[in-house]
Amino acid sequence: MDRIQSFAEDQAEILADEYRAGRVSRRQMLAGLGALGLAAVAPGAARAQARPEVVVVNFGGEAVPAFREAFQQPFVAGGGRMVIDGSGPSNGKIKTMVQARNVTWDIADSGVAGTGELGPLGLLEEIDYSIVDRAKVDPAFTYKFGVANYMFSTVMAWDTRKVTGKPTLADFFDIQKFPGRRMLRRSNQGMLELALLADGVPADQLYPLDMERAFKKLATIKQHLLFWNSGAESQSLLRDGEVVMGLLWNTRANLLKRDGGGRMDYTYNQGLLQPGLWVVPKGNPAGKEAFRAIASMQAPEGQVKLLASMGNGPANPQAASLVPAELKAVNPSDPANVAVQAKISAEWYEKNGAAALQRFLDFISA
Amino acid sequence: MRRPAFGETGIYWMLVMPALLMLIGFYLFPLVRVLWVSVMEPTPGLGNYALLFTNSSIHRVLLTTLRICLLTTAITLLLGYVVAYVMAQASERTQRWMMLGILLPLWISVLVRAFAWVTLLRRQGIINNSLMGMGVIDDPLPLIWNELGITIGMVHYMLPFAVLPLLTGMRGIDRRCLAAARGLGASRMQSFMRVFLPLSLPGVVGASILVFIFSLGFLVTPAILGGGRTLMIAEYISVQILDVVQWGVGTMLATTLIVFIFALLGLLARVVDMRRLFGAT
Repeated sequence: MDRIQSFAEDQAEILADEYRAGRVSRRQMLAGLGALGLAAVAPGAARAQARPEVVVVNFGGEAVPAFREAFQQPFVAGGGRMVIDGSGPSNGKIKTMVQARNVTWDIADSGVAGTGELGPLGLLEEIDYSIVDRAKVDPAFTYKFGVANYMFSTVMAWDTRKVTGKPTLADFFDIQKFPGRRMLRRSNQGMLELALLADGVPADQLYPLDMERAFKKLATIKQHLLFWNSGAESQSLLRDGEVVMGLLWNTRANLLKRDGGGRMDYTYNQGLLQPGLWVVPKGNPAGKEAFRAIASMQAPEGQVKLLASMGNGPANPQAASLVPAELKAVNPSDPANVAVQAKISAEWYEKNGAAALQRFLDFISA
Repeated sequence: MRRPAFGETGIYWMLVMPALLMLIGFYLFPLVRVLWVSVMEPTPGLGNYALLFTNSSIHRVLLTTLRICLLTTAITLLLGYVVAYVMAQASERTQRWMMLGILLPLWISVLVRAFAWVTLLRRQGIINNSLMGMGVIDDPLPLIWNELGITIGMVHYMLPFAVLPLLTGMRGIDRRCLAAARGLGASRMQSFMRVFLPLSLPGVVGASILVFIFSLGFLVTPAILGGGRTLMIAEYISVQILDVVQWGVGTMLATTLIVFIFALLGLLARVVDMRRLFGAT
């Protein structure tokens, strides 16, 4: 890992680990990876040669062969054409491609930092909502340059040997009450929001973020903070007892709780709900076919499979009724969990994301 | 006797021409583009370079980088000198084993080595656990998540890059000079301080600059062993290019770094014979 890991990058890693540990079958892994990318094949796709090839890019690893086996083949059988590319669609790479007028990707796995930085620069296609169905996504997560593919959360987790009862975010900042080191992500997204929630800002009045206040709050515990770069690191810092509380992704928090034998716990209370977004680079080779592929991924069945294997929340609200009872508690987009969380504002990130990241890195390295 | 049409050097030039063209096409051209972007984005001019003087976060990153790299270089040189000195005196057989010990870590990924250090240095790591088990300490020592951890990791990585040039230098020292010094009545210490050390200095300067330049590009080790609290210039550039897509700032810093490194290499070339340092002779 040579830079701060994105949520999507971490997902491929979790799935590979789970498969190796024998906790998910190959079939489940493929289904999960497929839901991450392409959950269902558009029905009635018979015009084989007329359809251009769709290149879907994610963050690679085991996700690539799995995508091929599970989704490229049925897609081809259904008359579509698809290639899976695992080379990692960072903002910088998308910018390079679009500026060189040599775009080879159609759909990229991104987030609000992607739409926020690339959208205003004219590097992304607008999502065609005549093809992609707005009704199949929470309206808070349909944007001009990106549309939700799955949901995840930034949550608080703790070591129950050191932190007793049901701690709140305010306790995260109370070193007297629960002595020990705390852990944040090495990036602003989610961290500033949770600092403000801890300081008493109501969830529905978070944005625009009061950065002064957030950094002031973080400064109160700065000497006790460690910062994680990758999801795996966040998991091991808590597991190894290097920190007693941490803010991390719900997927990693869930693994800690499941594998910790009761030692670890986490809560969605005062968490931040964030979308994984599909974006389409400007001038993508397959044109509108990309949006047909995105539309096919909105099918709830695949999204629920992804929740079962990896803990990613379905972006389609209609999936809620399909979620088995035992998975509701871990689902970040379960109505009960959504109710206690704040929602990220992509609009704010578009205007302030880069400056906030810069300031956050300044803050932690000062 | 007729001279060849191109002259003698002309033929050599033709031999190196393919390699030279490749360098220009695949190395020099992209570098020039980096320079170009740094003065053209977001607006033409030297605005990005002005940030070098006005932007406090860039100042901090540069100072942190400089501090860590200088500290790493100093410690690496000290340790590397001792190792190289012992090696230069050792028997052929011992030298081969020592060389293996020095080269082996070079083949292990920097990421793996960083995590290996985490395992050793953390609160419940091997070092702290054994020290507490023996009753030497009551609380774990803060060996990691700070600049101490970073320095340990970086020195470990850099040692071979110091030992090898130092050793080359020391092997070139004529032992008869030392024998002569002893013969003229110098003590062991005196003959080391006044004969061996000055003769090995070109190697020291070369190794220092090599280690320093390598250290400048570090990003994985500081990010992991520093607990995420240290930001060095290589990572800062990567954030500018890949995440916040402010290519003007990123390329400006990259250009500055390259100019700085070339300046150091220029300095190096004045002090030592570069061909010997890199083992060409």
